Amino acid sequence: MSALPQAGRILHLSWESVMQKSIQKYFVLFALPGLICFAIAFLIPMVMGVVLSFFKFTTVTDGTFIGIENYKRIFINNDFTSALWFTVKFTVVSVITINLGAFTLAMLLTRGIKGTNAFRTIFFMPNLIGGIVLGWIWQVIINGVLLPRGVTIVSDPKYGFWGLVVLMNWQNIGYMMVIYIAGIQNISHDLIEAAQIDGANKVTMLRSVILPSIMPSITICSFLTLTNGFKLFDQNLALTAGDPGKQTEMLALNIFNTFYGRSGFEGVGQAKAVIFTIIVAFIALTQLRLTRSKEVEA
Amino acid sequence: MSLTNTKRNHLILTIVLALLALFFLSPILIVFMNSFKSKLFISNEPFAMPSSATFSGGENYISGSQKIKFFNAFGYSLFITVFSVIGISLVTSMLAWYLTRVKTKFTTFAYYLLVFSMIVPFQMVMFTMSKTANMLHLDNPIGILVLYIGFGAGLGTFMFSGFIKSIPLSLEEAAMIDGAGPVKTFFLIVFPILKPTAITVAILNTMWVWNDYLLPYLTIGTEYKTIPVAIQYLRGGYGAVDMGAMMAMLVLAMVPIIVFYLSAQKYIIRGVVAGAVKG
Amino acid sequence: MKKSLLIALLIVSVAMSSVLFAAGAKEAAPAKEVYFLNFKPEIADVYETKIAPAFEKETGIKLKVVTAASGTYAQTLKSEIAKSNPPVIFQTNGPVGLAESKNYTADLKNTEFYKILSDKTMALGDGEKVLAIPYAVEGYGIIYNDAIMRKYFALPNKAVSIKSADEITNFATLKAVVEDMTKNKSALGIQGVFASTSLAAGNQWRWQTHLVNVPLYFEVRDANIAMGSKVPEIKFSYSANMKNIWDLYLNNSSTAVGLLGAKSVDDSMAEFALGQVAMVQNGNWGAGQILGVKGNKVSDADIKFMPIYTGAAGEEKYGLNVGTENYLCINSNASVEQQKMADQFLTWLFASETGKQFVKNDLMFITPFNTFKDSELPTDPLAKDVIRWMNKSGVSSIPWAFSMIPSEEWKNQFGAALADYSVGRKNWAEVEKVAVDAWKTEFKLTN
Repeated sequence: MSALPQAGRILHLSWESVMQKSIQKYFVLFALPGLICFAIAFLIPMVMGVVLSFFKFTTVTDGTFIGIENYKRIFINNDFTSALWFTVKFTVVSVITINLGAFTLAMLLTRGIKGTNAFRTIFFMPNLIGGIVLGWIWQVIINGVLLPRGVTIVSDPKYGFWGLVVLMNWQNIGYMMVIYIAGIQNISHDLIEAAQIDGANKVTMLRSVILPSIMPSITICSFLTLTNGFKLFDQNLALTAGDPGKQTEMLALNIFNTFYGRSGFEGVGQAKAVIFTIIVAFIALTQLRLTRSKEVEA
Repeated sequence: MSLTNTKRNHLILTIVLALLALFFLSPILIVFMNSFKSKLFISNEPFAMPSSATFSGGENYISGSQKIKFFNAFGYSLFITVFSVIGISLVTSMLAWYLTRVKTKFTTFAYYLLVFSMIVPFQMVMFTMSKTANMLHLDNPIGILVLYIGFGAGLGTFMFSGFIKSIPLSLEEAAMIDGAGPVKTFFLIVFPILKPTAITVAILNTMWVWNDYLLPYLTIGTEYKTIPVAIQYLRGGYGAVDMGAMMAMLVLAMVPIIVFYLSAQKYIIRGVVAGAVKG
Repeated sequence: MKKSLLIALLIVSVAMSSVLFAAGAKEAAPAKEVYFLNFKPEIADVYETKIAPAFEKETGIKLKVVTAASGTYAQTLKSEIAKSNPPVIFQTNGPVGLAESKNYTADLKNTEFYKILSDKTMALGDGEKVLAIPYAVEGYGIIYNDAIMRKYFALPNKAVSIKSADEITNFATLKAVVEDMTKNKSALGIQGVFASTSLAAGNQWRWQTHLVNVPLYFEVRDANIAMGSKVPEIKFSYSANMKNIWDLYLNNSSTAVGLLGAKSVDDSMAEFALGQVAMVQNGNWGAGQILGVKGNKVSDADIKFMPIYTGAAGEEKYGLNVGTENYLCINSNASVEQQKMADQFLTWLFASETGKQFVKNDLMFITPFNTFKDSELPTDPLAKDVIRWMNKSGVSSIPWAFSMIPSEEWKNQFGAALADYSVGRKNWAEVEKVAVDAWKTEFKLTN
């Protein structure tokens, strides 16, 4: 009797390996195209980039090895560190404002009031518009608002900073809102009813039922807003291009300008990019770990 | 009593949200309105409606489209987006199926590399990639498809893998027992089941590729400008920014994506949610 | 099932037809083509719509002209030169620019193009090799609208005793005139004396390069430094003079200081052309931006130059800033035929009858070539006035010392400091500090 399930399992297992083997024969058809494109577009340039960060070069084939010189050169003037600081400030502010705004809207739009669908459509729409176009739209509007004060968005870095924050919010609140809505709609009714029976008021409901239940949404929204904020480029370029004098330049734009804005700094640019990647990876992984652990608890 | 209260609350809420929605739409409306004003009157009074003095009809649209060859840009954007998206959906679904069903050290490693690529900022590879692309003669509208498939491989494989893992092996086993090879099994059994994920992947990628600036700028930007590249060119080009042309071009740039959105709205929002859940 | 098939077919057919939209611009690189990366956006049209077709008609060689957006030439050149179909003719802006491009500049010693250069010492090179040939001599200063000036001098209660603009020969007089004109703005029907001091990104070159040339030249002259030398550091000893003229520009322009960050050179030139202002600092290359503007209210005879006065001792003896920043080079990595075709184009442009007409009437260059007779010099009012000042007795032109600025980055930082000063976020001492410190750092980084 006990031998039969065993036999079944062995049969099943061997089918798996038979299937696996037969699929493996088609490596060239199924896997190779994707892997080749991936190698050309990402893998090889990535490895080259890391290696070249230790070289002085102008094109990819004429480098001379200089060890960590490039990394040292990054700090000769402080445009990298100020770009980093600006990026951090911006990301922190955006992540908070976007998630608060999106969550609030999501709560409001899960009550079945009239026009919910229309509102959802409208709030989401800005997300479709590309970064460059968005930057220009907001530049016109912000300059228009500032005109009576006799200044423009590039007269003072704080205008550029808040301009970027407003732009990011406009673009992303709708997107995160949609995710929060889905999360809220997925909360089991039993849970809510049980809490209501227990006499929970709105605050307790929020804190003990809703927030823990939508932790997965919080995870993904934080991840997206964090990484998007940190890596921002198109909108930065179009809104202020870093002006006045690089004071509203974020990391991605700073690296771009290092490569293409002056000669002889390609190695430094590559080194900056490596550091940039490490920072983003670190933040993303840390954040995921933090919020994921909260998810498991819930 | 409480019923009327709730109804009243709902009414207030609706009004508040309506005002907010109007506020949300206003930037688009303002740009639209300004595109019909003559260029000298835009910077000075951006919030004023066009009057008989400032109204310039379709002039901005005509001059703008000529300046940056908008219709060519539209053609390039459309071609590159449609074919990249088709390419990504096809190639990454096949890759994902292979990586999920064939469990070796290599496939696991490849999978993690792909996922890792989603975090890496573009600046890390932009310089070296544009050089490689140039060396391999990929710096044209057809070659760029390879680049987009390569960059889209991370997200696509991740999403497809997630879904494939939940497909019971028995379906594929049954097909193979019946004598179907992997090709038939994939295209006739697995791919149809993947349709929802494929739609999600297609939508997320459409939004990305259509609006992308840096990749096309660096690889094909001097000869073939997509819409974002063409718009940004209005800035640096020829010193001043012709505000009238800029407004008109911004409107034209937004129209296709808004049309796409309004017609495929349901799928887009569903796709966003599905994408987030898988994450 | 049928519906989604239909949609799929629709998408694919739309995509395929989208190729038709773009087809107009697609080109396979023809065999006889020369790629020229143009630096001057102001005259890009001329190259594309007049010169290239004429050249192709006469020789069958296609001239591919790509113009880099304002302020992005170096970036575009770097990116294009590394591609498989790089520019064959490109521009460098002097010794600093040439040093950056040295790896791919061909020796032009034996070209026809070099033969037509009148003063061979003007070419830049390396030892025996000739690497860059200047093609346009240009002058800049304060362009003024004499009609408005005459109106001012006719005012009954004006504050100065001189009677015409050419009696302004130093800063004190200039300041008195300008400030008085600002007081009488409405009587003169202008929005301000100077056009906007444009500070938009990519548009600061009038100040961080051209304006600073005056104090820079005086400093190196005093220190007996020869033009073209390497200058490891500056003291910015004439900084107070720069402040004089900078403040004058800022406080007497048509636009409030806070809004200057959004103004471009085009805006300023348009203000001058439409008669809204009396003066604008710029050079003779800007002729097309005045003469070609719709609604141009300034007559040719009224367009004149005066030197940029700063209050430096002995400035009455100096005229306009004259020099060249425009050198042409040929890509040494291009094939021998392409280099020959490049030489053919350049010689055609600057020596053939058709070419010279374009240079005179459309490009409006004052060239250093021996192929131009006096009657073939440009006749636009700006070029004519530059030539008048170059030939004036008793004054010497100020050479372009700014070619000794260590890098573009210095200019960017200095320009940003000027912009900060203009909105009150920096005081002048801080601007000075930026100028001096950045020069030192940049010199170290680039040498």
